[in-house]
Amino acid sequence: MMLQYFERLASRLDAKIAKNPDIPNARRKFAREIAQLGTRLYSGQHRIAWCGVIAPFDMLAAMNITSCFVEFVGAMLASTGAVGTFLEESEHAGYAADTCGYHRSVLGAAMKGLMPLPDVMIATSSPCTGGLAAMENLARMFNKELFVLDVPASDTPESVRYLANQYMDMFRFISSRTGETIDEDKLREAIVKSNQARELMVEVYRLAQNVPSPASGQSLANFGIVMALFLGTDAGIEIAQAYRDEFESMVKTGQSGAPAEKIRLLWLQNRIQFKNPLIKMLEQEYQASIVIDELNDITWEAIDPADPFVGVAKRTITIPFNGEINWRLNHVRHLSTAYKIDGAVNPCHWGCRQGTGARGLIQAGLKEIGIPVVNLEVDCVDTRNFAEGQLRTRLEAFMEMLRTSPSAA
Amino acid sequence: MMSQETTRWIGHACSYTPTPLIHASGFTPYRLLPMGNSPDRAGQLLHDNLCPHVKRILDRAMENDLPDLHGMVFMNCCDAMRRLSDAWRAARPTDRVALVNLPVLAAESAISFFADELTRLSETLSTWSGQSFNQADISASIAKFDEIADLLGELSNRAHTGTLEGGSSRLQDLFNRAATESVDRAVELLRTVAEEMELPAAAHNGVPVYLFGNVLPDPEAFALFQSCGVHIAGDSVCTGMRAFSRIGGNDSDDVFVRLARGLLDQPRCARTFDPSRPGKIAQDVLAEARACQAKGVIAYTMKFCDPYISRLPAIREVLREAGLPFLLLEGDCTMRSMGQQKTRIEAFTEMLR
Repeated sequence: MMLQYFERLASRLDAKIAKNPDIPNARRKFAREIAQLGTRLYSGQHRIAWCGVIAPFDMLAAMNITSCFVEFVGAMLASTGAVGTFLEESEHAGYAADTCGYHRSVLGAAMKGLMPLPDVMIATSSPCTGGLAAMENLARMFNKELFVLDVPASDTPESVRYLANQYMDMFRFISSRTGETIDEDKLREAIVKSNQARELMVEVYRLAQNVPSPASGQSLANFGIVMALFLGTDAGIEIAQAYRDEFESMVKTGQSGAPAEKIRLLWLQNRIQFKNPLIKMLEQEYQASIVIDELNDITWEAIDPADPFVGVAKRTITIPFNGEINWRLNHVRHLSTAYKIDGAVNPCHWGCRQGTGARGLIQAGLKEIGIPVVNLEVDCVDTRNFAEGQLRTRLEAFMEMLRTSPSAA
Repeated sequence: MMSQETTRWIGHACSYTPTPLIHASGFTPYRLLPMGNSPDRAGQLLHDNLCPHVKRILDRAMENDLPDLHGMVFMNCCDAMRRLSDAWRAARPTDRVALVNLPVLAAESAISFFADELTRLSETLSTWSGQSFNQADISASIAKFDEIADLLGELSNRAHTGTLEGGSSRLQDLFNRAATESVDRAVELLRTVAEEMELPAAAHNGVPVYLFGNVLPDPEAFALFQSCGVHIAGDSVCTGMRAFSRIGGNDSDDVFVRLARGLLDQPRCARTFDPSRPGKIAQDVLAEARACQAKGVIAYTMKFCDPYISRLPAIREVLREAGLPFLLLEGDCTMRSMGQQKTRIEAFTEMLR
């Protein structure tokens, strides 16, 4: 089922890109690569790793491992509208509906045999406790040993060294389980490609800050978090290049991503992964555009290819979701200023302790710099709990408030 | 409630807190238990989907239902606890607060890193106290806490065999006092209780049950179990013996490595696990239930506690395969929620008889 879905999706996108080969086709190239990743994961012809969200995917690419964080499957199932069956499967097995929907859906998929057996499993202790527990549960189901990257929540030389050493252990673990050798040249090459994609993404985000922004509510949805899967590969560079070219062209001609942009919004944490009318409603009825997602940013320095473990460890430790809430708060404040934000939308994903848990602190912190926040009670994966009417009403009230505020005038 | 004239308290909220280190630095560790009648105000800072343990503690902090704390030490043990440390800083911005990294596994590299973290904490504590302390001081404190562990271990065994006057309810009161009173007073109290005459083993007629879970500090909860005909024959909760595991080791060892190993080697919570044996907690629960000859197993977990609720299906499955009846009680740190479970506990006990 999943393989056919991804193959069809890739083929359809290939055809669309071929139809207009002279335009950047950024979103299509991004979506096509997602489809190709899905195809590789489900084809049975590649060595695969199921991972935690902040695993070093560029390093894994250097070892010829097709790797992916498990939440990706939950998001894909939600986007296809098929997630309900898998959520019910896991809930019937005793996984509480109070836990994260991404993880419940993936566990349900594994129980129904929809998750291919991985060659290795690489869990990460950050960003969330629930994610680590889900990986342990999957490892139990697959009867696989788990490798855990224990990510400290402090940016100190000791923490960086500790994590860097774990990457070396991870390589040895993978090598011993798959027979893949550790080729230092390939690793260097992957890091160089990561850095190239990073430079382009810096440009993409800089261009998105423009008023009006070339970013529409959908163009960069899930971009930052999924691009991590393509770091270290040519595909990652190609996608980032396409976005850079597309946005550059739009900025030159003064073209806005969302029609007649009047209100600029920051979207906090994850998107709602299933089809819903909220983004379109914001754009069409209020000329409100999501010009930046919290997860769309480069928060790390270029990595020294000659010393990749330390650089990747530093990249991982300093993601704003790791550590104390001030890291995240400082980051969203920075984004709010850089993107000239009028307001922020916080979809409080039910079951997310690390993100949603802090919503009061985030709201208060943004209020200090004059950014109002609307909190939406939603499960970003579980369509069964989607209260469209309530969410629409809350967003409408928020938009009315922003429309009458001086900054949006 | 407690003598504060000569005691300088350091608050903490997790079983992994290196209490001997706090003691060696001249402070008295004080575990903030999610008890009392503070009004529900944590929702101003934390979402409703966070575990009631941290919210009740924040309620206490916002209500100032605390001793005069010199500082707070938080362990970065889970998302909820990290968020509690964030909220604490927002609610009480002038408090001294330390957040300590806590590895999720007990590999040698993790123990070494955790030892570095404890060294860093010792420097912070030294700054807070204005006095220096050395490895010998920490070793002496470990010895005291290990004595508390031994005494509580002995009393715990007596409660399990039904020979402790007052049973598991009284035992929980002793755990709470050991977690919130000065070390010397706790040792004195526990020695006195340990010297009491044991009851005859046949004094109880409850059904032997193994209890596991996370935060269950209220002695009334144990009295409720008893009133429902349950005899706790063995248990593993983080407000019980798990919070007092021996640190062990030798005085010749590096004391920070010794502390780190002592805290990580015997997992005090489901959040720490062995990645080479996924789901091992389920086998551990089964083994412990069998070791105490329990006729059934009761799990008591906080609502929204990911480390536990995520692992319950595996535990349920293993117990079912072993033919051991299982009852899950989900709570919110109030006796109100426990009271609502009374009928279920009674029905479970009847089934086991």
